[in-house]
This record gives sequence, C-alpha cells and structure tokens, in this order.
Amino acid sequence: MNCSATDCQLELYDEQHELEDYQSGVPRWCTGCGDNAILAAVQRLCRDEGLRPEKTVFVSGIGCSSRFPHYMKTYGFHGIHGRALPIAEGVKMVRPDLTVFVNTGDGDCCSIGAAHWIHAIRYNMNLTVFLHDNQIYGLTKKQASPTSPIGTKSNTTPRGSYLDALNPLSVTLGVANASFVAQAVDWIPESLFEIVKAAYHHKGLSFVRILQRCPEWLPKSLDHWMQDPGRIQLLHHENAVHLSAGLAKTYRNQLLHDPLDMNRAREIASSEDVIPVGILYQNRDIPRYEETRQTGVLRTTETVRKGFEAELDKYTV
Amino acid sequence: MEADLQTHVAFYLTGKKLSTHLDALDGLNLRPALFAGYRDLTHLRYDFPLVLVAERLDGAFVEPLSGLIDGILDKVAAGTDGERIRKHVLRLEQEIRVRVATGSSGLFSALWDQAAAPLGKADRTIAESLSLARANLKIDGEVIDCTAALPFHLFGHAWSIKQAQRARQFSQDIERLVLKLSDIIKADFVNSDAGKSAENLRASFGTGPMDNFDFEAMSRILTRSSPRQNLSASRRHRVTNLLETLHAQKFFRMAETDTGETYSFAFDSCIAALAAYRERLPRLIELARAMAIAELEIKGEYNESKHDLLFDSFGENGLEARDLALFPDYLVRLDAAGMTGPEQSTLTEILSVDLPIKILVQTDDVIEESPLGNGHLAFALRSRQLASMAMGMNGVFVLQSPASNLYQVRRQIQHGLDYSGPALFSVFSGAATGSGELPPYLIGAAALESRVFPSFTFDPAAGRDWASRFSLDTNPQVALDWPLREFAYEDEKHQSVAQQTPFTLIDFVACDARYSKHFARVPRARWNGTLTPVGETVARDERGPLDSVPCLLMVDPENRLQKVIVDEKLIREARRCRDMWNSLQELGGINNSHADRLLARANEIRGANVEPPASASAVPSSPLAAAPVAQPAEQEAERSPDEAYIETARCSTCNECTQINNKMFAYDGNKQAYIADLNAGTYAQLVEAAESCQVSIIHPGKPRNPNEAGLEELLKRAELFI
Repeated sequence: MNCSATDCQLELYDEQHELEDYQSGVPRWCTGCGDNAILAAVQRLCRDEGLRPEKTVFVSGIGCSSRFPHYMKTYGFHGIHGRALPIAEGVKMVRPDLTVFVNTGDGDCCSIGAAHWIHAIRYNMNLTVFLHDNQIYGLTKKQASPTSPIGTKSNTTPRGSYLDALNPLSVTLGVANASFVAQAVDWIPESLFEIVKAAYHHKGLSFVRILQRCPEWLPKSLDHWMQDPGRIQLLHHENAVHLSAGLAKTYRNQLLHDPLDMNRAREIASSEDVIPVGILYQNRDIPRYEETRQTGVLRTTETVRKGFEAELDKYTV
Repeated sequence: MEADLQTHVAFYLTGKKLSTHLDALDGLNLRPALFAGYRDLTHLRYDFPLVLVAERLDGAFVEPLSGLIDGILDKVAAGTDGERIRKHVLRLEQEIRVRVATGSSGLFSALWDQAAAPLGKADRTIAESLSLARANLKIDGEVIDCTAALPFHLFGHAWSIKQAQRARQFSQDIERLVLKLSDIIKADFVNSDAGKSAENLRASFGTGPMDNFDFEAMSRILTRSSPRQNLSASRRHRVTNLLETLHAQKFFRMAETDTGETYSFAFDSCIAALAAYRERLPRLIELARAMAIAELEIKGEYNESKHDLLFDSFGENGLEARDLALFPDYLVRLDAAGMTGPEQSTLTEILSVDLPIKILVQTDDVIEESPLGNGHLAFALRSRQLASMAMGMNGVFVLQSPASNLYQVRRQIQHGLDYSGPALFSVFSGAATGSGELPPYLIGAAALESRVFPSFTFDPAAGRDWASRFSLDTNPQVALDWPLREFAYEDEKHQSVAQQTPFTLIDFVACDARYSKHFARVPRARWNGTLTPVGETVARDERGPLDSVPCLLMVDPENRLQKVIVDEKLIREARRCRDMWNSLQELGGINNSHADRLLARANEIRGANVEPPASASAVPSSPLAAAPVAQPAEQEAERSPDEAYIETARCSTCNECTQINNKMFAYDGNKQAYIADLNAGTYAQLVEAAESCQVSIIHPGKPRNPNEAGLEELLKRAELFI
C-alpha cells in the first residue's frame, strides 16, 4: 500500500459509481452512429476509474460529436465552433484538480479549430482529447470535411472532393511537444476502451483520433477496413497497450511498436492500406504547460488586489 | 645481535625496556613514517577547510574551499592573463587556509577580503587579479576547518536546510488550507441575508458615484433568485475549529515576519528531545487531523456520518511516517564522552521506536582505555557498540565516519536526514587530547585508514537486504585487511627505496602519546634483520617463533627514519581491530563466509562431475518441446449454427438492435448488446437486427417458431450471418 493509513481509510469511504451514474439522457445521434461506441467506452472508463462526476468536465465544440457533454452526467461545456480546446485549457488552468476531456470532430478540430489544435498540442496541458473523425460534416447534412477522402461526393463537392484528406495523426506528430498520439476505431470496442484508458492515464495532452462510421452520410466509406480484419494493424508494446488473446486471434495483423520511436510513429501514421490502431507515440517526459506556469503563490484577495493595483499603477499619470 | 634480540623479545612480550639500548618515545616527537609528507596541511589542497553553503538547487550544503576557488578560476583564469590570475588566486587560497588553521572563522567572502587586503597592498597586479576573481564569488557560507566543532556545525547546517525546505512546504499547505476554509465561511456570508443586504452590497462596490444604482432592488433580486443554502451549524463549527487549530500551530514559523512563538527542535540531550516529543505529540496529532479534515472540507467531501467516527479515533495508534513527514525532525547533538547512563538508555529508546529524531554522537577519542582499567585496551568499542546496536534495530539509518571524511559522505548525510525514521550519525572528530601536534584532520584520516573507525552507512530505505542497505564504499581499499601505501625514502647510501606499507591500528596508536609505553625506539646502530615489519606479525594469527620482533617505521621532526618496536599487547589489539573490520567486510559482501562456502560447494559439485540435478531434467529433450508455447487463446464456447447469439465483446453500442426490439436485445454492464429474451420478438426481427448491425455480430440461428410467416425468405437472408 503506497498510502498512509488515513488515506487508505478515506479511500474506503469513496463512493462507488455505476455506469448509469454517468449517463444523462438518450443520445440523439443516429442509430448506428459510431459516437455511441465512444460514449459507451468513456462511460465505462469513468466508472472503472471511479471518476467523481463533480470533478470531471467534458468540453466540446460544434458538430455531431460535440453533443457528447449532454450525455454525460458530469460537468460539461458545449462550446462554440472550433474553440473546444481553448475553453478546456482555461478550465484546466484555473482548476487543475479537474479531469478535463475534450470531444471534437473532424470539422471542429481540423478545419475551423486547426490553429487551436496545433497550439494545444504544443502546450501539452493535461487534457484527454478525442477526435471523433467520421470524415464528413454530419450535423449539417453532408458537406466535405478536411478528412474526407479525395473524391468524396457531398453537398459542397457534388463532383467529388478535389483534395487529399488531411491526416490528423501526421499533423499532430509534426507539432512540437506532442506527447501522446493514438488511433482507435469505433468498431473494435475492446481496443477502443484500452486506448481511451491509456489516454486518460497519460499526463499531458493525449490526442486520440477515433475513426468512426457515419451510417447516415458515409455508410460505406470504412467498409473496406471494417470487413477485413487484416486491414487493421494493431500496435502493441510492453510500454503501450497489450493485446488480449481474443483480440489477437481476430486481428492477426499486429505490429510491435515502441511508442517512443517518433520516426517510426510518423511512418505508421502515414499508412494508407491499413488502419493502424494503438498508441503511435507517447513521451511522458514532456512538461505540462499548466505545471510550468504554476508559481505556487496563493491567489488571496490581497495578492489579487496587489497585482491589480500594480497593473493600474503602470497607467497612472 | 643475540643480546639485542633477547632485549627486543622481552619488550615485545612484557612491554618492559630491559636495556638502555631501547629508547622511550616520550619527547622524541615521532610520527608514523607515512605522515612524513603531511607536516604542514596549509600547503596542501585537500577537502578542508569546508564552506557551509546556503541551500542550492543541486542540493549541496557543503563545498570544499578548493572546489569553490576552482569554480571561480574556471570563470576568470582564461586568456593571456589566465596563468597569472590562477597563481594569485591560489596564493590567496593558501593565505585563507593559514588563517583558518590559526583560528580565523567567518564567511568565505569576509575571509577572502581579510586575506586579499595585505596581498593586494604588496602588489598591484595581485590586487587586480583578486578583485576580478572576487567579482565572481557567488557562493558564500561559513568557512570551517576540521576541528572538534565541525560535526556540530556541519550537521546543524544540513539539518536546518532540510527544515527550511519542510517549513516552506508546510506553510504553503497551511496557507492554502486556511485560504480555502476561509472561502467556505466567506461564501456562506455572501449567500446569507446579511450578505445580500443592500448595505453590504453597497459597501462591496467601493467608492464613487453610486446614486444611480439601486442596491435595494439588487438585494431583492438576489434574495429572491439565489438558492438558500446556508452552512449547517455543525459544519460551520468544524470549519471554525479547523481554522483555529491551523492558526495556532507552533511547529513552523509561517513567514519571515511571523513573530509568534514556535517550538525548537534542536537539542543536546536525548532525554530533553524525547520529553519535548511526548509533550508535543497531542498537538501534532491534532494538527495532522485538522489538515486531513480540512482537505476533505475543501473538496466538499466531508461526510459526517462516515468521517466523524474515523477522525474521532485519529492518531490513537500514533502517526505514520508519511503523516510525520510534514513536520519538523528533531536533531540531537551529543558528546559521547559526556553521555550518562539514563541518556544512553533514552537514546536506545528513541532508536527502537520509529521516532523522527536524528542523533549525532560525536566521539573525540576512539582509543581511550577500557573502564576496566589495569591497562585493558578497548579501542573504538564504545562507538562500535553504538553503531552495531543501531544497525541491529533494523529500522535506523546509521552513518559512521570520521570528521575528516564528512565531505565524502555528504550525500549519505542527506539521505540520513531525509530518512523518515530515526537516524544515528556516529562521528569521530579526531580532536583527541593525546595526539600532540597532529591536526584533527590527520587523526581522523588515520582512524579511517587504520580501520579503527571505518566509515559505513546502513540505509533501511535503500532496500530490504544487506547488499542494498549496507555500504563500506567510502573506505580506502575495502577489499584488504589494511590499506597498502607506498612509502619511499632515501637510505644511508642515498639510494631511493620504495616499499608497500600497510597502515594499521599500530600506526594510529603510535600517534597518541598516552600509549608511548607500548613502543620503544631501536637506535640506528642496533638495527638488524630481526626487526620485521609490523604488518607481517599482525597478519599471523598467533605468536609464532620468537626469532624476530615487529617494528614500525616512524619519522622524527627532521624526517629521519626511525624503527620502533611494539609490544605484543598492541599486536593483539591490531588483530582484534582487523577481525572487527573483517566482520564489517562480510556484512558489506566482501569475503562473505556464507557465499564462500556456497561457492566452494558449487565448485565441488562441478568438479566431481556429478549427475545433473533433478531440476535439469526439465530441459526439453526434443525440439518440439522447446518450441514456445503459444498463449492459449480465450476458448470461445463452440456455438451451434442453430443458436441465436451476439458476439457481445465486439458490440459497438450503435443502438441498431435495441431500437428494433429493446426487450429481445439489451445492454450489459459495459453497454454492449446481448440477447436478453429470444421469445420477446420474432425471427424476422432477429434477421433484421443482424442485417442492420454495423459490425455484423448478430447471428440469428434457426427460427424458434416454425409457423412464422415468410420463414423461407428469412432463412435465406439469415444464411449470411450464420
């Protein structure tokens, strides 16, 4: 036991939560939507880790994925388009005791929120970010998103999209201070849960791109990978996620990958024929912005007043 | 020659000088030959004097003067003038050494200035060099030489740095708790009727023209709209009590400006320290309890029905090391010579229960005569008893070292002070009365070299076995009985002679005038082949033939070599000292008898070429058996194609099936689907669910109702999912 007798006794008194304690309302997502799988995995994480609902926050932007906080019986902030990350950073900065999750979509994060995304990676604050990537704007009824594969026909690209899709993994791995980059798919719940759990335990910004099906607007786009387990490449390592026997039996395309190997991570991220699933990169030694900025000075009324007056004095004529 | 041998043997056996050809050592001022080169320590650059530096990021609390000077020279002694500056600064360093050796003390910077003034006055270039170097003197502290006062000051300094660190952390914790608890009371006031009253609202708006603002209306709105949730009387009472306890604590000074009375934790007696600990314990428990409750209150997690009972009995069984780690450690500095019986037993009591008390026992004399008298020798026994007793308790950090070696064991000292339980530091100062003109540094170093006062650490926090806990590494040439040093001299024919000489207990005792009767100088004219080196005699376990007499090489004040014979009593004492060193070596893993026996046995078995042990038969005999056994995959139950089922573990919670029939399909504890009731729906629904399942994990099996409509078509559709 690595805690004092008092701590241990107090832990005994901690309340145990059930999955239902984190469920709020019936999701309005379409039937068959991959967001449901992510919600189930995250609720399971909250229960298994005993996260206190009043100490947990889900912050989102705009889009199908961003309805996520509504379905969690925790604190939540349904923000504005592309601004989930700055809001989450603000929450974490003033309340470092809270567990902060961010749910953002491919449009929210990779298009309008791209600048915030890059800088959030660089700040490496202790947030767990889930990029719900369904490769389409679903809420507004089918417009191409930055991650839509080239040739995707949509309301804004009736002749098919002209540009190659942006790869969120490669982009993230190219930003200074990236400390946790992983990829999951919504149709392998066991692996999704393990990756979500590893992301939660990582101290720093953990970025998890979750490829999810959109049964309404792009029902067939991921069938190529979904129907052929050989096209899913499971990454495993003693310092990353382990493969259960059942998973290893179904998905035989496995790759031993050291999550500290950035160059290899970048190669894996660029795979097109297979979808790599697992932790591509993890470095626990990168400092967290909120910790480097901690002065240790208590924000008493006096210190706030003193600081405020010092600022005003600069402009006193 | 025969007559000489008889006289020498008689002295060896009885300690009596039967002939005028043997000189008493008194007044000859001899010292062991290996000390010939250490007449004036101020001309040597070595660890001393030390500078007790203020707290630094790298954790160092002490630096040698020469190290600090080297640091300054690294910065300034460069370029064309580099060599000149180096020479001048090193001259200053020597001047500081001389001053410290003659009793000057004070800060490094002050001693620098005192020493630099006359040097600079004599030569302008020296003044320039020293002024340049002085500008780079960034690390300051009290300069202290290896004297009887060193252990007291050095341990006091290291301990106070540690306490200052704890005090900072502690006051941060207390301030945070006080602030947050006060916020609870403040928030309650703001929510109260008084807080929402027009007067209070007006007062909180500061000065300025407020005529246009209707505070009455604001008060009404606030009173009406905000929820009425006042602190319960019991919670208010608890929070107020906590604040009182936190404010009243006397363990640490909260800020520089704090003038309140605080406890002192440095003592010169175990009895006083233990009494203070006992007296303060209830306060300490009360404070630790208040801090634990305050943490819960701040998080809003204090639950009276659960926590009241727990905290009512808080600390009944004492506090754990982790709880105590917040509070100051006690430091007791003792003089071994002045320790009374009750003091000794209190020391044992402290060490035997895990109290956070660090004890320094300073010994000035390690070769005092046994209390039994009658010439009984019991060299180093008292200090050895103390350290062995402490190590035997198993939970005590023990460090033994002569003062001359304290810089080398600085990290171990820090580990001892960091250790959560009791620590015993046994230090030999070297300032014994009988050592004449030899400086304490040399005596301390000689005690270490001669194994009279070996240096070792026993750190219970380092692991569970002796190999991890016990270390002898700071001793010279640990693997040998005695360290071997090369001794070179010029013989009568002016030829250089070099020989390997062990430094033994006899060399150490020869430094002490009190034991001069155990030695007799043999005049040069009487030197002959029957005088054999002391080391050879000590190495034998018994007396042996009396055809030679052990003799020690010493030098007189003119550095002329002298041969001194030794009586058998000292030889026996040296063997005892070696045996004690050997048992320490065993503890440190050197020549460990258990390991040696096991090794011998293993070699014997190997040598005898016996049959391989039974366990070796487990070696695979066929390549097939050697092949790695695959991890058994989770055996899935064999399913009949007729049975309807869902691969639940693969369900992605997409709601497709539950929307078709939420009685037939349901979610389990992990929100993954399974067939809850096959009879709650039709086969058509099963097939439809299988078709719409996003991950194709629903297997409809065969229909249960043979009369269901459209079965033929349904079975055809279901074939894809069997």
